[in-house]
Amino acid sequence: MISTIFKRLGVALATVFGASIFAFILLRKIPGDPARAIAGDAATDDAIAALRKSMGLDDNLFVQYGNYMGSLLRGDFGFSYSTGNSVGSLLAQRLPATIELGLLSVIIAIVAAVLAASIAVYSRRRWPDRLLRIASSLAMGSPPFWIALLALLVLSIQLGIFPGPEGRLSPGTLRPPNVTGMFTVDALLAGQWGTFANAGWHLILPATIIALGPFAFLSRLYRNQLRGTLRETFVTVAQSHGLRRFPVYSRHVAPHGLLALLPAASLLFADLLAGSLLVEKVFGWPGIGSMTADAIIQKDFAVVQAVLLLAAILYVVVSLVADLIMTAADPRTRVGAR
Amino acid sequence: MSHTNALPFPSRSMARDGIPDQAPVLSVNGLTTSFYTASGTVHAVRDVSFDLYKRQRLAIVGESGSGKSALAMSLVGLVPPPGRIVGGSVKLGGTELVGLDDAGISKIRGRDIGLVFQDPMAALDPLKTIGTQFVETIRVHQDVSAKVARRMACELLAEVGVNDPGRRIADYPHQYSGGMRQRVLIAMAIANDPAVVIADEPTTALDVTTQAQVLDLLAKICDERGNALVMITHNLGIVEELCDSVNVMYAGRFVESSSTRSLFGAPAHPYSKALLDCVIDPATAKRGALPAIPGSPPDLSVDEPGCPFVSRCPIGRDELRCATERPEARTLAGGAVVRCHFASDTPGDAA
Ligand SMILES: Nc1ncnc2c1ncn2[C@@H]1O[C@H](COP(=O)(O)OP(=O)(O)OP(=O)(O)O)[C@@H](O)[C@H]1O
Ligand code: SF4
Ligand SMILES: [Mg+2]
Repeated sequence: MISTIFKRLGVALATVFGASIFAFILLRKIPGDPARAIAGDAATDDAIAALRKSMGLDDNLFVQYGNYMGSLLRGDFGFSYSTGNSVGSLLAQRLPATIELGLLSVIIAIVAAVLAASIAVYSRRRWPDRLLRIASSLAMGSPPFWIALLALLVLSIQLGIFPGPEGRLSPGTLRPPNVTGMFTVDALLAGQWGTFANAGWHLILPATIIALGPFAFLSRLYRNQLRGTLRETFVTVAQSHGLRRFPVYSRHVAPHGLLALLPAASLLFADLLAGSLLVEKVFGWPGIGSMTADAIIQKDFAVVQAVLLLAAILYVVVSLVADLIMTAADPRTRVGAR
Repeated sequence: MSHTNALPFPSRSMARDGIPDQAPVLSVNGLTTSFYTASGTVHAVRDVSFDLYKRQRLAIVGESGSGKSALAMSLVGLVPPPGRIVGGSVKLGGTELVGLDDAGISKIRGRDIGLVFQDPMAALDPLKTIGTQFVETIRVHQDVSAKVARRMACELLAEVGVNDPGRRIADYPHQYSGGMRQRVLIAMAIANDPAVVIADEPTTALDVTTQAQVLDLLAKICDERGNALVMITHNLGIVEELCDSVNVMYAGRFVESSSTRSLFGAPAHPYSKALLDCVIDPATAKRGALPAIPGSPPDLSVDEPGCPFVSRCPIGRDELRCATERPEARTLAGGAVVRCHFASDTPGDAA
């Protein structure tokens, strides 16, 4: 098991390294001169040449990459020309908003998927399963961006059930003291119930929309796993010992379904990232997603590069942790045969 | 391993002759089970009837697909979808089991009827320790603390030959060998002391030496506790050695029911004859598998008018009656119950 962990760590490091090279090359090879984009159309050729020099864009790629990695290791993520801030401070400022949104999305996706799939499989009737299939097809097939616009139009603007695209809190709401940066948590810690409710109210709609794709994916995975497990001999054996339907289901079927969800965690994470990019933009959510969307439009490559790298690291960490939990949770991998 | 002699139970024929000295523990009448598949209705069990007495060892033999497992599962209401019991009755003492709801039949399973399955490798939950599963099995039916249940489990494990049960009980199924797992499953099946134990080919997945040990153990345990044992098997050698009565199953029906001695001495039904003739071939006998007899079994989704064995029967091939009229169960003079127009227990009579 120890050697497995080291092997996985090696793969993880290689993945991050690969991602850093990929992000680096990609952003330097896309058409358009970042210096010109930053300096603006009115800038003289001399000014742009000077800017290129100061950005190091005239050095060869190896030197550029070396410089880039060097500053990274010193904790310097570069400078965002479009906002005039260091990328590091931008990230620090915007990360909590995205983490809060992402965490809620994950929770919604997993809880809803497990509940819906459990009901669909456990029910003796057919319609819950059909309904789940239709719902997950719809959720899988519609782009989150489009759903976000539609939801905003109908639920916020027409019906007024949810707030408009005004970010994390209604204007004038008391901001909670900064502890974790997640407003709901900080408000709870400070006992500010009003702020907690307001922050939660702003979170629910974007979080639910981001959760749609992962919900569709997870509910199908869980349902299929449950169905497969129900056909296993040990389920019949447990019944033959006198266990009733529900205990058989909760003790011998559901755990196998949950175990099957773990390897999906990394895929889920990628889905969340992609979803949050445009949904944050639509809802005016001041997180990493909207920042990245803006940075792409502005060709602010230091920001995009940092986000790509961060995403790669998180992805690797998530899959690594999921893998380790998987190994620890399954006795067949945890304890060897005797 | 021979227990054939002087077993203290009434034989099948005695029961038929109307002199049973006790009531049957299990009484099956006209049991019929079908699978409703997309490609048609498979009539897997057709009008099966038998009585089972305390301490009896009843064998059910028949080629693959003849409906043995479907029958076993019907007895405890565990026929997997798309199958279901269409008719008939299974009576345990005075209780009718067919049609009981989940709560009702769950009380019977494990407590009154224990099942031992064919594939020990797949029969235990790989995510739970043997102890967890065993304690669960005991506590479903017995109101004891987890601690007491664990002690009971250890005793049962020791009884089936698991060494150091106090330590081994904390192990997971994959840490047991196939033979050991089957022993664990036997221990679990008898943990609540059921009056009837049904073993559906309990050893096909095991190697030959282990097979013998496990079957011996099963028979011994049932003997000691006075349980009735229904042994479903392909292995006629085991039947002759361990069982006192036999039901030969063909295309969902019992075509011959008689005592082991009478079946092996003078098989009445042409299918039983064919089976036993093949056993004389030493190659098949050694493998212990049910011999393949020429021809193929009928399609179970068709309800043919004549005898289902007609296309393979040396007698029936030329008989109009066999092709047009289904043979009903008849009791022969020697006590065997046979479904064949021409069967007779006087050797040479039928052929
Ligand atoms: N789940 C199922 N769905 C559809 N048909 C089934 C199902 N299970 C069994 N059958 C059919 O019922 C018939 C009897 O099957 P069964 O498993 O009882 O045979 P068996 O005598 O136990 O055979 P074997 O010796 O191979 O175990 C077969 O024709 C089979 O195709
Ligand atoms: S009824 Fe006819 S076909 Fe069927 S077993 Fe008897 S002799 Fe053969
Ligand atoms: Mg079978």
